[in-house]
Amino acid sequence: MTERVTERLAFLRARSYRDTRGDSLPTLPLPPDECPDAALSARLFAAACDAEQPVFYGEDFFGFNRFQKRTVRGLGGFGNITVDFESYLAEGLSGVRARIEHRLPTADEKGRAFLQAGLACLQACEALAEKVRRAAAAQNRTALAGALARVPMQGARDYYEALVAHKFLTYVLRLNNTTHVTFGRFDQYMLPYYRRSLAAGATRDELLELTELFFIAQNFDTDLYPGVQQGDNGQSVMLGGCDRDGNNAYNELTELCLDASEELSLIDPKINLRVDKNTPLSVYERATKLTKRGLGFPQYSNDDVVIPALCRVGYDLADARDYTVAACWEFIVPGCAADVVNIGVMNYPAVVARTTEKFLASSPDFETFLSHTEDEMHAECDDIIAKVNAYQYHRKRGAQPFVSLFIRPCIERGRDVVDGGAKYNNLGIHGVGLSTAADALAAIRQTVFEEKSVSAKALYDALAADFEEQEDLRERLLSCPKMGNNDDRADALGGFLMDCFSKYLNNHPTEGGGRYRAGTGSAMEYIKSAEKIGTTADGRKAGTPYACAFSPSPDARVNGPLSVIQSFTKNNMTGLPNGGPLTMELHDTVFRNEQGEKKVAQLVQAFIACGGEQLQLNAINRDRLLRAKRDPASDRNLIVRVWGWSGYFCELDPCYQDHIIRRTEYVFN
Amino acid sequence: MQGRIFSVEEFSTYDGPGIRMTFFLKGCPLRCSWCHNPEGQQFSTEWVRGQNGCLQCGACVRAAADPNRLDENSAAACPRRLVRPCGKDLTPEELCAQVRKNAAILNASGGGVTFSGGEPTAQMPFLLACLASLRGVTHRAVQTAGYVDGAQFSALLDVCDFFLYDLKLMDGALHRRFCGVDNAPILENYRRLAASGVPFITRVPLIPTVTDTRENLAAIARFAAQNGVRDVELLPYNRMAGGKYAGLLRRYAPDFDETVPVRPKAECLEIFSACGLRATVL
Repeated sequence: MTERVTERLAFLRARSYRDTRGDSLPTLPLPPDECPDAALSARLFAAACDAEQPVFYGEDFFGFNRFQKRTVRGLGGFGNITVDFESYLAEGLSGVRARIEHRLPTADEKGRAFLQAGLACLQACEALAEKVRRAAAAQNRTALAGALARVPMQGARDYYEALVAHKFLTYVLRLNNTTHVTFGRFDQYMLPYYRRSLAAGATRDELLELTELFFIAQNFDTDLYPGVQQGDNGQSVMLGGCDRDGNNAYNELTELCLDASEELSLIDPKINLRVDKNTPLSVYERATKLTKRGLGFPQYSNDDVVIPALCRVGYDLADARDYTVAACWEFIVPGCAADVVNIGVMNYPAVVARTTEKFLASSPDFETFLSHTEDEMHAECDDIIAKVNAYQYHRKRGAQPFVSLFIRPCIERGRDVVDGGAKYNNLGIHGVGLSTAADALAAIRQTVFEEKSVSAKALYDALAADFEEQEDLRERLLSCPKMGNNDDRADALGGFLMDCFSKYLNNHPTEGGGRYRAGTGSAMEYIKSAEKIGTTADGRKAGTPYACAFSPSPDARVNGPLSVIQSFTKNNMTGLPNGGPLTMELHDTVFRNEQGEKKVAQLVQAFIACGGEQLQLNAINRDRLLRAKRDPASDRNLIVRVWGWSGYFCELDPCYQDHIIRRTEYVFN
Repeated sequence: MQGRIFSVEEFSTYDGPGIRMTFFLKGCPLRCSWCHNPEGQQFSTEWVRGQNGCLQCGACVRAAADPNRLDENSAAACPRRLVRPCGKDLTPEELCAQVRKNAAILNASGGGVTFSGGEPTAQMPFLLACLASLRGVTHRAVQTAGYVDGAQFSALLDVCDFFLYDLKLMDGALHRRFCGVDNAPILENYRRLAASGVPFITRVPLIPTVTDTRENLAAIARFAAQNGVRDVELLPYNRMAGGKYAGLLRRYAPDFDETVPVRPKAECLEIFSACGLRATVL
């Protein structure tokens, strides 16, 4: 790391820069439903831009830090997407403006309202960028002022200009309250600028330093973007993978980003890596060095599974090949999708519990019980769909003219993203508690139907009593087959449940003309939804958490990583395009030397070879977590993977801290 | 035929080449003062209390017939159900079936199966049967202290692909004091192993003031060099070694001062390189 980077890191960690922010926002009258139309949205956006003041943090190469603590009421609210960085960097805002002006004369009334609002937003952007440029020039920040003479209005010419333009756009999108704007395929859309700078004489080391400074800049202001928990801010980057024609697109910038992230050990941006069955071990070894740092990333996704999965729900092949992730793990297509990837949740254990309550006593055999389960799964899907329809997600959000300018083909269609302007308008449903539900079915099959050692009534009573005075029965249920032990008796039931969910859901059109997409993710629901669910037949006590996303239940004793990998790869995943990773904790001593690192890399490679969809690994030390929980001040920079993102352990709510500590009880070492 | 194991690890990273599945066989003729797997010493099945989540309520001890040993009554009495039997009996066929389920991943990484302990050669018929039935399934390694009859050890050499062989103390008296047995058979079997042509790694635990003395390390280095060995692995003593004793209601009482730091890495490497050996510290 260069001295300059070291200094910036120290400056960031001191955190004192946050004390100078303003808290004086203009308010504009909102309509009764608080959903502004296009013109009002543009006025609100312009007011937000106008209220900003140039803020530079020390030796700041990118600027565009937040002045106002809060965002203007009524703005935005649509997010967890990624925008068309590629076109924006190439054409600049004036290019966007030219496309709007070209479209305006032929637009209908609705289109004119959207496009004119878009023009007003661009004008506000231009004024804000100019304000910052003048301030930079006045403070002799010549590099930044020079770049701002060109971007964001004109296309970027080199790597530095592209980075400044990038910083500008993500900053104004935040002002627009477009939350969780993920960075998408950074190593692809930045590559031409990177190569141009190299060709113009910059060295790799200089560009690595620049990248590091840019990454550091993403860690300022994250306190303003807390998401559900601090750290859940959506600043995900996707690296590697193939291009839109299917050619390998892992490149020199991919490696440079991995280097930068490893050296910095910061939680932003959060690294994702696309791999496939042909990815060489050296790439996994490179990426394992990040895991070793305890960052909880890279999160891996398997092109061999994800691309066919996206195609099956209607994404064009070239778009599917271009996939990235939303804030956590949900697969999205950059720049042309207004997908809402977390609009609902399938709570598997709730369905199994309900089926148990209604049909266990009357089912003559397990097959009958399973067919009732299938019916209940379908009923649950219908219920989820009805709730989604009633919720009216897009209409509740009001017009989004600004972000729509960066989602294709909103301008050409003359339609806002909330009005069907985007190419894709699909809705993702998480699937939470799969392992708990599959384990419950496996326990019911073994104890009630095969051994006949427990009657339906006895089981039902024990569940109602939360195993009070019935620890022996609970022990018996806990010793039944569990997902995670490479035991078909449990794994096949997991596959059955996923099929019930995905085959039914994915065939349903949405009201907006899109498709539903089933997933294996949980977001925070592994704690939140689980709290409401009583005792389950796998032996889980009432209200206790499920596994995070697609992982063995916290109540299951599992043999080890090889069994876990095989359990969670043996079912076909191409019906689950919404994503959701297997999460595994490895003890940090595994990474002690290169021998250990290589074996971790081989383990990841094995997961991909087995057909796994998505994987995140935590290098973790239980004692360190316990100490940090007791004495947060002793370890303020300890980073952990929470669900689809990494955060500072000490900034998490205790319930998430406890879940992570619990996951380490069976840590593999 | 059945053997007895006390643990299986599916992803052990320091038990031989590649990703390895390691079976820990129960029972050991040695009683090393620094033993960190005390549950591997007795052949008989024991009841062990898990430490994570223990409320320290004492119910397990109160319920036990013998207050010095946990039993099934302790298991029933524990409110957290942390007392579990340690020791599982299984046939070579059952063990082989477990390995087969993971063989594709093990083999793709250039790894395989490792038998450790305890002392795996203490269950020699079972060990030989397992190794024979795993021929052609995956790479087979044995981690041993070599304290076993020479003829039996020679039979083992024919069915094993790789050894991890521990050398602790070269002085017979010290070996008897700190490991409980004489080292003559260990040294003899080491010579057999070296002469057999079966590949192996020599491993030396670095126990402060016991095995990490200049005399002992130099003697090990000379002995290894005489046997044509070029590489050794050194395992520094881990202060966590005593962590498992409480679960067996035993007190960890090492016969040396564990607070003394292990001899610095550079010095250790230098002692070995003086005999032409390359040492690595794990």
